[in-house]
Amino acid sequence: MSAPAEIVARLIPILGPFNKTNAPLSAATRFTEDLNFDSLIVMEFVAAVEDAFDISVPLNILPDVATVGELASAIDKILGEGKS
Amino acid sequence: MADLFDRFAPLMAQRDALLGDGGINPFQVKMDELLSPTEAMIEGRRTILAGTNNYLGLTFSPEALKAAHDALEACGTGTTGSRVANGTYGSHKDLENALAEFFGKDHAMVFSTGFLANLGILSTLMGPEDYILMDADCHASIYDGVRGSAAQIIRFRHNDAADLEKRLARLEGKPGNKLIVIEGIYSMLGDKAPIAEIVAVKKKFSNVYLLSDEAHSLGVLGRYGRGLPEEAGVEDDVDFIVGTFSKSVGTVGGFCVSNHPQFDVLRLVCRAYVFTASLPPSVVVSATANLKLIKQGGALRARLMRNAEQLHQGLSGLGLKLGSDVSSVIAVVAPDPQTAIAFWRGLIEAGVYVNLALPPATPFGYSLLRASLCAAHTEAQIDQIIDIFADVALRLGMIERPASRRIAAG
Ligand SMILES: Cc1ncc(COP(=O)(O)O)c(C=O)c1O
Repeated sequence: MSAPAEIVARLIPILGPFNKTNAPLSAATRFTEDLNFDSLIVMEFVAAVEDAFDISVPLNILPDVATVGELASAIDKILGEGKS
Repeated sequence: MADLFDRFAPLMAQRDALLGDGGINPFQVKMDELLSPTEAMIEGRRTILAGTNNYLGLTFSPEALKAAHDALEACGTGTTGSRVANGTYGSHKDLENALAEFFGKDHAMVFSTGFLANLGILSTLMGPEDYILMDADCHASIYDGVRGSAAQIIRFRHNDAADLEKRLARLEGKPGNKLIVIEGIYSMLGDKAPIAEIVAVKKKFSNVYLLSDEAHSLGVLGRYGRGLPEEAGVEDDVDFIVGTFSKSVGTVGGFCVSNHPQFDVLRLVCRAYVFTASLPPSVVVSATANLKLIKQGGALRARLMRNAEQLHQGLSGLGLKLGSDVSSVIAVVAPDPQTAIAFWRGLIEAGVYVNLALPPATPFGYSLLRASLCAAHTEAQIDQIIDIFADVALRLGMIERPASRRIAAG
């Protein structure tokens, strides 16, 4: 599944302050390998994403989210569920 | 081929670098002899224990000791079986009845530890359609419990009822029940949940239940020691209370109490209840005996709070940064893990034991010297703890020389 570009575009500025490794940010950016995210940073970043999109991101999905694009797809799904 | 343990190598390297070349390992402390609930021999030194969660000092209560001795003689050293097989004795039932009566709830279930109580209840209670909304600072056993649940797990900001409300509002109209999970007193910093606000939020929505882990508040808060819900006057709005006997109750074990009429079905479906051996009768009767003392323990609670005030005032007076207001848990925030370890070693070498807590196990990534008070601490012991903190903090350059306090030589 291709990542929704519009959501990726919204995620990148949110990711900015958490990008301590100055990695190039795109749908392919990996949270652990490229950005060195640990559990504390993940928690803060997810909270920032939740605020920005006005959603709750369940913990259950986090293990399946390795890249910015995967996160965008997960958010897309959550936003879709909210409308139903 | 990589060795099985290679993936722990970075962690080990980090740990080794932190602990450095010498000194006592804070995570391998050995108590050579217990002198009292507040003193032990460690490394050949008489040491004040200020990090045991033994809030009321009941580990040597004559009532529990006598009951435990009698039970050992009468029932032996263990049950060798699960609660649902050969591991339920009269004393297990008596303890469950005592717990239900203590909390004024209809049902009580005793687990082998508090960790297992959280694991069992949280992994079982909610189904695939349901939602668990947990405070982000919850204990590891809560995180592990919800991980085993089929429900969607949503975290809200620590002690932030408004954030919880926002998240519940987002779930409105969805089928499924919701369970809010909080702790009465959070173990690392000693801060209390804003439970009245959380209850108010809960009441704005339907099909929402509340579970509070009273591990650190049982025996500590409330006129009769029933924890934060009692203190805040919201006991009827807390649907499930989980707790442990390993802190103020002074032994080991865990429990859950509730008024839900179908509660007992959990005895069939909680794997952490079914597939583990029950507590030894000596432990069970100790818990029952100490629970009685907790109920009558107004004087102990008053003593504990006086001690907490004394330590809090003393440490904040030194200019140290503390994790919360006056509480039975008082955590000094160190600037970084290295300083925290040096601080901890300074304390232990001077005869004070506190807990060292490092990120990622801590909120805000804090490095903490976590003290917990005991009703059995004397004023003189607490003065001594403050003196030793002052001495070590000064040596580490964390504070200026305190004007009013005598600094121990060293
Ligand atoms: C909040 C909380 N819940 C549960 C537990 C687990 O209790 P136990 O020691 O009985 O396993 C602890 C203590 O470690 C705790 O701090």
